[in-house]
Order: sequence, then C-alpha cells, then structure tokens
Amino acid sequence: MTSKTLTNANEFDPNNFEKGDSLWDKAWYKFKRDRMGKTGAFIVLVYFIIALGVWFGIWGGAWSDTSDDLWQGPSMQHLFGTNVIGSDVLTRVIYSTKVAFEVGFIVAVLSTVLGAILGSLSGYFSGTWVDSVILWLMGVLDSIPFYLFVAAVAFALKENPFAMHIAMIATFWTGTARVVRGEVIKLKGQEFVEAAKSIGVTETNIIFKHIMPNTSHILLVQSTIAFVAAIKSEVILSFLGLGVKDGVSWGLMISESTQDVLAGHFNNFLSSSVFLFVLVIAFNMFSDSMQDALDPKKVS
Amino acid sequence: MDILKFAVRKLFGGIPLILGVTFISFLLMVYFGPDLTWEKLGKNPTQQDIMEVRHELGYDQPFVKRYGNYLKQLVTLDFGNSQMTDKKVSTILKETMPVSLHLIIPGFILGNIIAVALALFAAYHRGTWLDKLIMTGSVVGMSISFLIVIIAFQLLFCSSFGLDLFPVRGWEVYNNEGNIIWSQYFKYVTVPTLATVFVALGYNTRFYRAVLVEEMTKDHVRTARAFGHKPASILFKSVLKNAMVPITTRIMFSIPLVVVSGSLLIESYFGIPGVGKITYDAIVAGDQNILKAIVGLTAVLFVIVLLLTDILYRVFDPRVELK
Amino acid sequence: MKIIIKPIIALALCLMLVACNNSESTDTTEKPAKKENNRYPGKKVYYHSMDGTPTTADPVRAATVYTNFLVLNEFDTLYSYKYLKRPYELKTNLATAMPQVSDDGLTYTITIKKGVKFHDNKAFEGGKGREVLASDFVYSLKRHFDKKFKSQGAWLFSGRIVGLDDWKKQGSDYSQTIQGLQALDDYTIQIKLIEPYPQLIYTLAMGFTALVPHEAVEFYGDEFGSNPVGSGPFILQSFNQEKAIYFANPDFRQEPLDLAFEGYEESIHEFTGIKELKGKSPPFIDVMEVHFIKESSSRWNSFTKGNEIQFTTVPKEQSNSVIMTKKPLKLYPQITDNYHHMYMVEAGFVYSGFDMINPTFGNNGNPEHDAKNKALRCAIRKGFNWDQRNRAFYFGLGTVFPGVITPAVMEFDPTMSKDAISLDIEGAKILLKEANWNADNLPELKYHTSGNVTNRLFYEQFRGFLKKIGYPVNKIKYNPYPSFGAFNKALKNGKTPFFSLAWGLDYPDAENTLQLFYGPNKSPGSNNFNYQNPQFDALFEKAKIMQPSHERTVLYQELNQMVIDDCVVISGLSRNKIYLWHHDVIMYPDREILGGFFARYVDVKE
Repeated sequence: MTSKTLTNANEFDPNNFEKGDSLWDKAWYKFKRDRMGKTGAFIVLVYFIIALGVWFGIWGGAWSDTSDDLWQGPSMQHLFGTNVIGSDVLTRVIYSTKVAFEVGFIVAVLSTVLGAILGSLSGYFSGTWVDSVILWLMGVLDSIPFYLFVAAVAFALKENPFAMHIAMIATFWTGTARVVRGEVIKLKGQEFVEAAKSIGVTETNIIFKHIMPNTSHILLVQSTIAFVAAIKSEVILSFLGLGVKDGVSWGLMISESTQDVLAGHFNNFLSSSVFLFVLVIAFNMFSDSMQDALDPKKVS
Repeated sequence: MDILKFAVRKLFGGIPLILGVTFISFLLMVYFGPDLTWEKLGKNPTQQDIMEVRHELGYDQPFVKRYGNYLKQLVTLDFGNSQMTDKKVSTILKETMPVSLHLIIPGFILGNIIAVALALFAAYHRGTWLDKLIMTGSVVGMSISFLIVIIAFQLLFCSSFGLDLFPVRGWEVYNNEGNIIWSQYFKYVTVPTLATVFVALGYNTRFYRAVLVEEMTKDHVRTARAFGHKPASILFKSVLKNAMVPITTRIMFSIPLVVVSGSLLIESYFGIPGVGKITYDAIVAGDQNILKAIVGLTAVLFVIVLLLTDILYRVFDPRVELK
Repeated sequence: MKIIIKPIIALALCLMLVACNNSESTDTTEKPAKKENNRYPGKKVYYHSMDGTPTTADPVRAATVYTNFLVLNEFDTLYSYKYLKRPYELKTNLATAMPQVSDDGLTYTITIKKGVKFHDNKAFEGGKGREVLASDFVYSLKRHFDKKFKSQGAWLFSGRIVGLDDWKKQGSDYSQTIQGLQALDDYTIQIKLIEPYPQLIYTLAMGFTALVPHEAVEFYGDEFGSNPVGSGPFILQSFNQEKAIYFANPDFRQEPLDLAFEGYEESIHEFTGIKELKGKSPPFIDVMEVHFIKESSSRWNSFTKGNEIQFTTVPKEQSNSVIMTKKPLKLYPQITDNYHHMYMVEAGFVYSGFDMINPTFGNNGNPEHDAKNKALRCAIRKGFNWDQRNRAFYFGLGTVFPGVITPAVMEFDPTMSKDAISLDIEGAKILLKEANWNADNLPELKYHTSGNVTNRLFYEQFRGFLKKIGYPVNKIKYNPYPSFGAFNKALKNGKTPFFSLAWGLDYPDAENTLQLFYGPNKSPGSNNFNYQNPQFDALFEKAKIMQPSHERTVLYQELNQMVIDDCVVISGLSRNKIYLWHHDVIMYPDREILGGFFARYVDVKE
C-alpha cells in the first residue's frame, strides 16, 4: 500500500513530474537527430544480436572444436582462418561477443547499482559520518593501482571465475558514486524532497524512491561508460592472465595472437581486435550521444 | 602561515586514507595473496622443509602481528629484503624508480600538452568540421586497446619487419657513473613515448575540451565576448586560466598511478627494468616485502597529491577557500 | 598561458626531432658490428639471451636453468661436462681427477687443484681473493642443511651422507665436523655415503654444489645472492631482472682447450669455428651480457636486429620463416646465411599425469572402482593426439616417446612399443564402454596447470582430443594457477587429480625421472602422482644403488613399463630446440645438462 501512495506523491509533485517527462522527451528528440549516436546504437544492436544468437545456441557453439588444420589462412570453410590448434577463428570471435556482453553487462549493471546506492547515501548524508566513511572508501579504492588491485583480488578469490568481474565492480563504482553524490547534494535541497519530508516519508524512501530516480539519466550514461571500460580492461587483464576463465574472449584471442603476429598469421589478431575496436567505438559514440541528449547542462 | 596550517591539517587527515589503503592491500595482497612457500621449495621437499620455509617467510605469525610489522616498516621506511631476489627492497626501488620516471615523463608531458593544445583548438573551432575531426579522432584513439598499440608500434618502428629505427628492447641509457646519456635516452624512450601519447591523447583531449567548452559558456566569458574582446585573448586569458583547476587536478591525480603501475605493459614489452614490472612480478610471485613498500608508498604519494591539489586550487582560483 | 605553452610545444617537437635524427644517424652506419662500443671500449663482448629470469645467483638456490647459468659462470664446481661430447660425459673442473671410490661404493675421495683463487672482493681481508680450499666445499654443501639459507637442493643429499642430516637436526653448528663430509687436508675432500649413490658424481657438476667462500656469505648476508663471490671464469658485475653483466676473470686458471678431449668432431663442429681456439685458455671474451627476455617476439626482434643479442632459441611463431624442411631439418638460406644453428633434444620432457590416491581418476582401494578408473585413464591416454600437439606447439620436431625414460639419457630404448603414445580413438571408446563409462557418469576433468597463454591453448587442444572420444566438453574445465608456486602448492596438497607439467633432468640418468614414481617420494615429495606400487618400489631400490650397467638398464626399462601399464602418466614429449647465433660468435651453446659451462668457451670475432 505504501508504495502506491508514494508513486502518487511523486505524481502529485508537478515539478518532478514535468521535469522528468520533458528530459526524456527532449533526450529522445535530440538522440533521433544525432547521426553518430544512431549509427553507434545500431552497431551495438547488431553485436547484441550476435551475442543473443550465441546465447540461444544458434551459432558459435563450435568454438571449442579443434582440428588438424593448424594456422590456416582464410578459406571458404574457415572464413577467418584457423588458429594454432585448428579452431575456427570466426566462430571464436562470435562466441567472444557473448562473453564481452556478459562481462560488460555484469560489470556495468552492478557497478552502477553499487555506485548509485553508495553515492546517494553519501550525498544525502553529506557532512555526516556516513558520507565520510563512503568518501574514505572511495579514496582508498582509487589510490590502489588498478591492475595491482585486480591481480590481488584474483589471487584472493583463488579459482572464482568471477574474480575479474568482482575486481572491476569494486573499482568502477567509485566514479559513478562521485557523480551521483554531487547530483544528490543538489537535489536534496529541492522542493519535492522538502515536500516528501513534510508529509512524513521515511528517509530510506526519500533517498531511494524520490531522489535516486532523478539521477537515472546519470546512471544510464555512467553504465555505458562502465560497459566500455569493462570490455577494454578485459583485454589487458586477459593478456596478464587475470581475465576470463571459461570460454574464450577477445582479450584471450589477442593474447594468443601476440605470438601469431610475428609468424605472419594475422587473422587471429586482426579479427579479434577489429571486432573489439568496432564495438568499443560504437559504444563510445552511443554513450557520447546519450550524454549529449541526457545531460541538460552539457554543451557540445 | 595559513597554507602551512592547512597543509599540516590535511596531512593528518590523510592518515586514515593511508591506513585504509595499506590495510586493504595488506589483506588482499599479503594475507590472501600468493604463497611463496611453494616457489622456494626444492624439487623433492619433505614436510619439515615446508615448515621451515613458512617460518622463514613469517607465515606462521598471527595476522595482527604481521600487519603491525608492516606499519612499523612503513614508518621506519625499512622493508628488509626482497623475498625472491636476495636484494634489499630499498636497493630495488632505487634502481627501478628512476627508470620508470625517465620512461614515463616524456610521454606524460607530451600527452597532456598536445591534448590541451588540441582541446583548445577544437574548443575554439567548436561545431566546425575541425572540431568534429579532432573529436572523432579522439574517440578512435580511446577505442584502440593499449596492448594493440604497443604490439603494432613495436613491429612498425623497431623490428626489422618494419622501419627498424629504434631498439626493440632494453634500457642502455646510463653511463658507468649512472648519469643519463641523452642520445641513448632518446633512442630508447621514443617508441614507448609514442605509444603512451597515442593512447593518452584520446582521453585527455576529450576531457580537456569538455572542460574548456564548459568554461567558455560561462557568463563572464559571454560578457567579455559581448564587450568585443578578441576571442583568442579570451580563450587564453580567462578560459584556460579557469580551466587550469580541473586540468591540474587530472594531471596530479594520475601521477601516483603513473609512477607505479602505469608502465607495466610498456616495461614488459620493451624490456625496461622499471618499477611497474617489478611490482607485477612481485604480486604474481608473492614477494610481499616489495608489495608492501610499493603499495605503502603509493598511498603516501596519493595523500601528498591530494594536499598539493588543494593548495594549487587556491593558486589558480582564489575563490576557493582553504577550508 | 600562451607564452608558456608555445615554448613547451617547441621543446616537445625538438625532442622528437632529436630522437629521430639520432636514430637515423645510427641507421646510416650500416649494421654496427658491436653494440654500444662506448660502453665497453676496446672490449670483446658477447650478448647472450635466456627466456627466463633468474632470481638469485646463490648456488643453494640454483634450481632453475637460469639461476644455474649464472652460478656456473660465477662459481666453480668440482666437475663439469665435456664441451662437445654427446652423450654427455663428465670431466674435472676444480677437481684434479675423477673421484676415488671405495670398493663398496660408499667412500669418495676427491682432490682439488692448488692455487685457485676466489675473485677479489671487499668481503676478503685486503680485498684480495684467497685460495679455494677443500673446506670451502664442505662449507658449501653444509649450507644446504642450514635452514637459514633456504636451500632448494638439499633433497639431492638428504639421507645420503653420513651425519649430514643429524648435523642439521643439531642446529647447523659449523664448528662441528661431520663424519661423512670432511676436508682431510686443504686439498682433499672425503665424502662417506649411507648407501651407494651412483648419481652423486653428477650432483658435483650441478650449480648446487658450487664452492662459495664463507667470508662473502657472512659479509653480504641475505644479499649474497645478488653479490655472489666465486672462483669461476667470470665475475658478475651487476644483475637485475633484465640482464646480468659479467666481466672475465683475469686470474682464471690456465687450462688450454683440448679439442679431442672435449669431443670435437670435424664433421659435426667444423661450422662453429671452434677449431681456431685450440690451445688457448678460456675465457676468451672480456664481457658477457646475459639478457633475460621472456617474450619470444621481443627476443626474436632483438636477435634479428643484428646489433643486440647474439643468441636465441627459435621461437615457435618463427617456425614458418626459419624451417624449410623438417625431416631432415633444413633452415631457409636467409637464416643460414646470417646465423649459425644447432638442433638438439632437450634433457627433459612434458607430460600430464593423474593423482593415483585421488579417487577421481586414481584408486580408492575398491578393486572394481580401481579397475574402472584404470580404464578411464588408459582411454584418455589413447585419445591423446601427440602428433597434433607436436605440430601445433613444437614445430612437429619434438620427440614423442613412451614412458618416462627420455631420449636424452643413455637408457633410452628407441625400439620400444609405441602403443602408449599412439592415437586410438576407437580403442578409447571401447575401453570406456567396457568399463561402463558414459557421458553422464564421467567425472569432471579439471586441467590443472600454471596459467599462461600457451598452457591455455594446451588445454583447449586437449579438450578437443577428449571430445573425440566422447567426453562431454562441458565436463572439461580449465584450472589455471596464477603462478607456478600456487600450482605447486595445489599439487603438493593433493588438489590436482589431473595435472600437466614439465620436468627438466638434473643429470643424464634415467633414475632422475623414475624417482618421480617412487612411493616414499609421494607428496609433498617429487612423486606428484602419488603412485604407490610395492613392486615398483622394490625394483627401484635395487636399481638406484647400482652403477651404470646393462643390468641396471634392464631394470630401468622394467620400471618404465610398469608406469606405462598402469596408465599413470600421459607421456611424453621431449622438445627439440633450434638454437641460432650470429656468425661472428664462435661457440656451441647448449643449455641442457651442460648448462652455463659453455660460456667460458665463447669467442667473438673481432
């Protein structure tokens, strides 16, 4: 029952209602006119469909097959050739798309959620001990060098296949939290918060049901940034041997191919780095146009 | 006097941060970290050999005592011997830190200066095709993996398959007295610098442009423009000056990380005996004394940077109070 | 701001121009013959490379090829191997003759050369190196039994020498004499054994037994490993994770190179130019730089550059540009025109094994279970495609052999049945079916190994093999460890039902690999298989005290067959390495058993 009254309270707040509505409308309008952004979004969508295909077993299932055709160049049978143990490079690249989306989604969603919660708390209680503790935690995490931190987490968690994800989440949330904190400090002085307080809404509800929804545009942008960062970090971490454990990924393929390249076998290296590059650049373009569209202050 | 008091207060305020960093990294890297015992044993060890090695490494002591020891080491700056290599930690740091600094500084400076210049240029021509070109360029730069850049650059500039202009690996830049030989230095530092600049440029340019553009849309800039001041003089006099605060902050904050971990990939690919590689090897092998020293020093460095940034804020922007 | 930025940009541009100019100027000088002459003016320098990094130069921890290389050049051992003779043959180094062994094989008497001096070092009084004495050997061996020095070689001697283990138990007091390890006078060493130990002589040619002066150990304390002081042909000047620099020892004893004695054969060694060195005393070079380069692409780039490192093994990824035909091995002319090469089988092998006391693939005492698991192990072995492994990772040049007696030792029998290494997918399927294994009840197989790119590919290929014998792919998991230490820990704690490893021979005697299956060596010992077979143990105990002979070889081969019959190990492959070196270097480099001993014979053409 409470939740209902709350939504009502939200809707009755003309300020909030109108502002939220127009922001998304305007954003959609702006985004529609942004050619770069649309191209980016389209490419990301294509990748996503590839990943879904792997997920549902339509393609990419044979990524683990080996054969006697070692280090073959492109042919009709193997469009992108084969690697050193005779696996089809195209199949592996496709399968890796799924892995990239898994890594990206898990890290983006969880780090954004964590950042949103801690950032809101810290912002709402700014100046109190809660804020100090969270700020301290952020400071601590930011001042441990990233790769050392990931390596350390990977060791500490031993065989956990999600060690890399956990390490990324643990470090990526601070960026979101800082932005959210700033925004919340601004929001909590506004009328609708005062109004909610005056009718006796609990603090938890004010933070999570009234203030946090108003930071959603920031969260969306932050999560795309985290997504890209996660995919890119995976490459370096896999090279350092701290990356994905099950399956195959672009990072693993690139690290495999550092040996191939000098032997004149570029297919593994090129396929994986081009696939990676195109997705990252598309996501960056998409993320950019979202920022343009969603950030009312942003001028470009 | 104000500044001094402020600095002292800030320094004390940094202690919880240092404690936090050291505690978390101690917990992760040392307590849960790799077990060196099995690296140090012979081929056919007995149970007793194992006990001896563990004792030698101090693994049989309780957690609190080990952490306490660490803090003591941090205060006295004496981290003892590296557990893997029979060298004093201080000797290792003395050997590797300058190398990393020499390696990183040119790329770091160039990466930032060129980025600021490009950002100024783009911001000045905001909305034109020049701006769009630079911005597209930086998105492309941002999207290429550092690893790919390093591999490609080494092939292109250094190997006999490419231009073959520079040494593939090594760091023969000091003469027997330990002084730098400049011609040698340029030979070895160029390709790593190009790679670092290439990668940093995308991020930096975007960031600085955003900062500059935001500054340019502020009221006082608009007013100045309305009064007919030349755009170039506005750009340099008020915009860049005000933008120095976020720019400096960004630069300052990258310093501690650059000193320690920023060069790991470069160092291992170009065979440069710097601190990044030492640190990574230490974490993989579990050389705790080196780790303790490096993590502790990074934390201290971080606090100092925080402090300096606050002071610099004041220098660039007198409106910022020293709270 | 404008005023500040402009000069900085100008400066930056200057820096880049200078850098480019500089490189051009070096480029025009057409392949500089020597690298950085300014560094060692007028000196003869050899640039060596290794694919791993030593962590210390202390003999008590000379457990890796890399450390051993450093140790053998800095220090002296009593014996070493003949430079060119194959199969390997021992010769004297610091000793004057081969040891006198009593008839019961228990007492060894060895005399050492007179007048040999340790390198000058501030650890000695007055900075002058003193004479090397028999007591230094006693001290050096005792160090392995002093826990302060964290020995990695004590296992070679524990339980072997009369009184040595007790000496350790009593607290490693150096003033106490040990009955079985004494200096009878300044130049005579006597070793008394508990039971015959024919391999002892080999250990005296290992870095572990190199002679160190106690003064330096005391002077440098924990830092002795980075400030070693020995009496060998070279003096270590500096050593970090990238390279070690050696200067020749000017006072090294005069021992002219005797080509015939060292095993020189015109037909094999003529191309090296070693003949010219006849009658000269090593070391022939003034400076040796040893570069530690793990990344094979870097190493190759550096090698082919011409003015950097002068020696490399051919990395796998270069096989296509280096190897023209495989049988017989021929290299492309552009390689042979520029470089010398040699090709040899390693003294070691790679294998995968099962933990026999872990019920997943091993035994639990229930005969039915044990038989079923044996069928599973044998089926996995039948499904292993050595040929594909060999072609994918070892240029197809590796030597695949059944069992654990490697091609590098005398006891190797090339005529042995190849069943244990032949691919037999149908046979494997039948075995599985007969033992009632099916996709549902097959256990999860985790591939335990130390994590790196190559090992990961090994795993992926192995998974491909097993898929073909009907093992469900989702039951084959990769279990990498971040470091060898972590992997080793899991191994020694019985957490690895199936593991993949490599073993490097310590000496050219099959005993060194057979002991991997000896019951009492079970974890944490070297028997990672935890193989317990009383029959094997009895036979091994009989063989291990025998001097080399035909009877011993027969016993060894019997032991080998037992291991094969029980399907304990999927083995094995000895890698064949191709070594390349620049034409201006005169040497026959061998990093296997001979290890670092060859460096003293290296010469560089002016």
